[in-house]
Amino acid sequence: MILFRKFRVLILMVFLVACTMHIMIDLLPKLEKRAAGTDGGDGGCQCAHHPGAETQGWGKQRAKSAAEAGWPNKHTLRILQDFSNEPNSNLTSHSLEKITAAGDTARRMRPSAGKAQDHKPLLGDSSGVHDHGVSKLTALFGHPLYKIALPALTDGDTLFNVNTDIRLYPKATGNQEWHNEEGNAEEDLSPTGEATAESYPNWLRFHIGINRFELYGRHNPVLDALLRDLVTQRITSVAMKSGGTQLKLIMTFENYGQALFKPMKQTRDQETPPDFFYFSDFERHNAEIAAFHLDRILDFRRVPPVAGRLVNMTREIRDVTRDKKLWRTFFISPANNVCFYGECSYYCSTEHALCGKPDQIEGSLAAFLPDLNLAKRKTWRNPWRRSYHKRKKAEWEVDPDYCDEVKQTPPYDRGTRLLDIMDMTIFDFLMGNMDRHHYETFEKFGNDTFIIHLDNGRGFGKHSHDEMSILVPLSQCCRVKKSTYLRLQLLVKEEYRLSSLMEESLLRDRLSPVLIQPHLQAMDRRLRLVLQVIEGCLDKEGYDNVVEDDLVGDTSTHRSGGQ
Amino acid sequence: TRRETKDGGSKLEKLFSHPLYNIQTPAVGPEEKLLQEEQLSEYVKKKVTRWERHMKLYSEAAVALSNITLIQHKMTLDPKASWLRFHLGINRYALYSRDDPAVPQLLRDMQRMTIANADYTQDEKALKGACDCSQVVKPSGHHLKLALKMTNYAKAMFKPMRQQRHEETPEDFFYFVDFQRHNAEIAAFHLDRILDFRRVPPVAGRLVNITGEVLEVTHTEDLRAVFFTSPANNTCFFAKCLYVCKTEYAVCGTPDLLEGSLSAYLPGLTIAPRISIPNPWIRSYSFTGREEWEVNPFYCDSVKQMYPYNSGNRLLNIIDMSIFDFLTGNMDRHHYEIFTKFGDEGFLLHLDNARGFGRHAQDVMSILAPLTQCCMIKRSTLLRLQLLAQPAFRLSDMMRESLQGDPLWPILTEPHLQAMDRRLHKVLKAVRQCVRRLGEDEVIIKDFVKSTAESG
Repeated sequence: MILFRKFRVLILMVFLVACTMHIMIDLLPKLEKRAAGTDGGDGGCQCAHHPGAETQGWGKQRAKSAAEAGWPNKHTLRILQDFSNEPNSNLTSHSLEKITAAGDTARRMRPSAGKAQDHKPLLGDSSGVHDHGVSKLTALFGHPLYKIALPALTDGDTLFNVNTDIRLYPKATGNQEWHNEEGNAEEDLSPTGEATAESYPNWLRFHIGINRFELYGRHNPVLDALLRDLVTQRITSVAMKSGGTQLKLIMTFENYGQALFKPMKQTRDQETPPDFFYFSDFERHNAEIAAFHLDRILDFRRVPPVAGRLVNMTREIRDVTRDKKLWRTFFISPANNVCFYGECSYYCSTEHALCGKPDQIEGSLAAFLPDLNLAKRKTWRNPWRRSYHKRKKAEWEVDPDYCDEVKQTPPYDRGTRLLDIMDMTIFDFLMGNMDRHHYETFEKFGNDTFIIHLDNGRGFGKHSHDEMSILVPLSQCCRVKKSTYLRLQLLVKEEYRLSSLMEESLLRDRLSPVLIQPHLQAMDRRLRLVLQVIEGCLDKEGYDNVVEDDLVGDTSTHRSGGQ
Repeated sequence: TRRETKDGGSKLEKLFSHPLYNIQTPAVGPEEKLLQEEQLSEYVKKKVTRWERHMKLYSEAAVALSNITLIQHKMTLDPKASWLRFHLGINRYALYSRDDPAVPQLLRDMQRMTIANADYTQDEKALKGACDCSQVVKPSGHHLKLALKMTNYAKAMFKPMRQQRHEETPEDFFYFVDFQRHNAEIAAFHLDRILDFRRVPPVAGRLVNITGEVLEVTHTEDLRAVFFTSPANNTCFFAKCLYVCKTEYAVCGTPDLLEGSLSAYLPGLTIAPRISIPNPWIRSYSFTGREEWEVNPFYCDSVKQMYPYNSGNRLLNIIDMSIFDFLTGNMDRHHYEIFTKFGDEGFLLHLDNARGFGRHAQDVMSILAPLTQCCMIKRSTLLRLQLLAQPAFRLSDMMRESLQGDPLWPILTEPHLQAMDRRLHKVLKAVRQCVRRLGEDEVIIKDFVKSTAESG
């Protein structure tokens, strides 16, 4: 007996050692490739130790079957394995410089803005928009204010160096199977440039295009293609996003792109009940979609692309998820509709089950930003964060001179950060989003970069109410970028009225109408309120102290001189 | 029939003066009453003493924590109070007699009397603050309801308004996630009285000032903690577990006034013990599960063999209850209660009717399964149902008139009233089908009131 017990302990020890070995192997990046070879069957273990969550595991597991099912383009696959060249490629050959150049042109606003291409509306085809003659949106994007160029980009200004950084991509996104599938190791490929950025999947081209100043270029054709992908690509796997308060799903497409899915929880005409606090409000899928369009019309370009999609809950969620917790919550309702409620901390219960009709559910799909392993992001606490408490007030609510304090605190004491906060404030006020507790930046760019406007699902909750407290940062600081101020003035003009631009832009979404008329009209009303606040500031502090001229920087003058 | 209403005559009064509603039950002997007068007054005196001692301790503690504003009302025990008379009137045949003046007085008292104290109900306290959010079917203690005490020591269960009158249960909701409706509680009491069952404790509607009549009179710290002021400056409070589990938000007054139903408490369990018995036609309370009665058309045959359904009126009482639930559309009758004193022949209490009246456009035939599967009905019940199907005594008219007496009128929207007429016809049709199949003698069971009913 004693011997047997000892033996059991021994087995346990061996098992522990084996597991520790696994962990060590996984943690050592140098040995990662070898590890991938050995523990191919041990997916669960690997998931747990990869930084960047189980979702990658999902993507990986699914990747295999997708590849078996028939990968549409072998080239893309090869390219994703290794962005150096491939000898047998039948692509037209390009030099590495050309790749960079192509990437750059896609990213950068070209001075030769007269081209027909530049006048083309950005999202999809604009059929149905020309009923009343000229498209207002085309006119807007043709306006000189929407042609102000970015400063010249250096290597440090792009999120990825196409030659070196992108190489890491497939590994980091957990697609080692691609190597195994193809059977050729990295070192077999000679690094001579032949692949082009154009042959990358659109999500990757979107990632490559991110730079210090914007998430995407004004006229980047990838945007159209990416939005189309979000709506049409086959969903190969679904996982629940952990950590979030309300139910969100991570969807992986057949081209390995990923998107965040927020299901419809409220109908278009439902409003947030007056007794709801901002932190108990529902997240709305249509707010996510509309926020992306609004951000683009304001020319901020700080919201990742979002498209609406009708998803089949049976085929595109239940049948492709390996998440038992999610799968278990599917049920058939008494009205014979397919429903599920998932697992999360807010509104994930049978009382709030999401039901299809009978199995179709609307939702928003937001393109993923680059994996955090490749492009770290910094999360900042919004200085005007609310208390998130039923009774307590935040400091800014009681101290009228709060902004003076903020102005002296890094990173708000220099650069454009404070002005970026003002942009965000205006953006949030137009939508009525009170839930901006944090914001993010790309770590690579340090403090001199834009802020990403993520998580806009709590906008557009009340059309009959303008939440003036959202504008407090602006009224306390009395600062605004000149470019923003000029665009806001443009958007109140009859021919560029914000509501009609939004309406036109949103027509292109599959889930049109995304917003009901009262919400569109509320934006016009709120825009006038923003301008009133700025005018109040101008009266009080004088134009030069309020409006920061961001249009006459050294680089932008000689750039815009070309027009 | 139209003329009758135009005469100004009350249809409801006509109904209650109909011979069918004037059958005299046998004289109630002392042993057939639930409580004896001395027994109750002794019990109540003890309760009052305990309450006063408790209050003294509490007011001393409240002085120490001077930040709490509390209203202390003067409490007086009147031995002639309506709630005491209601408790004394409970007998083996019904909760109250048809002409008991204590019942209308109790309804008025609940509508007007000053509320001196508010607290959680026993089943909520029994949870001891534990919330299991993974439960699909929430225990009854999770739901938002409060025990209110009036200045004459009467107690009532308060269920606040959760839904507007015109709102319906969403089509994808299962019966066990449906809302609790205060108006369903009120309407169920009136329906029960019109059907002459008298098995629902009196329920009245009331606009409650949740600040002055709940927050400022409660001694329960936990209850005070769930109160807050909403962004629209309304006073709100929530059911802790449902709020923690994010299944339900708060209920809010405008700014302090909130509609709710007050249902009179039955005598305490220590002097009038009750037992809770699972309904043989219980549902599965799961998304997919089915119970035996849903798949086996001969289910009733096995119920009939089972104690206590194998003798006496018990099964007929279950069928009465199923008819009552079918008329209201309440699918949530998982248990029923009886007073232990009256044994197996006692009537069934129809408590907790808040999940009725959720969908006016739908008649859930499965609620009627006890009737359709067993094919038997009390003769007295059938005669009354037939009467209420006649134009002169149409159920919807009776209900409309009866509900007019409630301060929260209109309690039910027209579609709900009309749905009751439609459902009544379906009940009668089900009985006719049974009679055709099995013959009148098998189906229509003559209970004790038979002979007098025919003479009338």
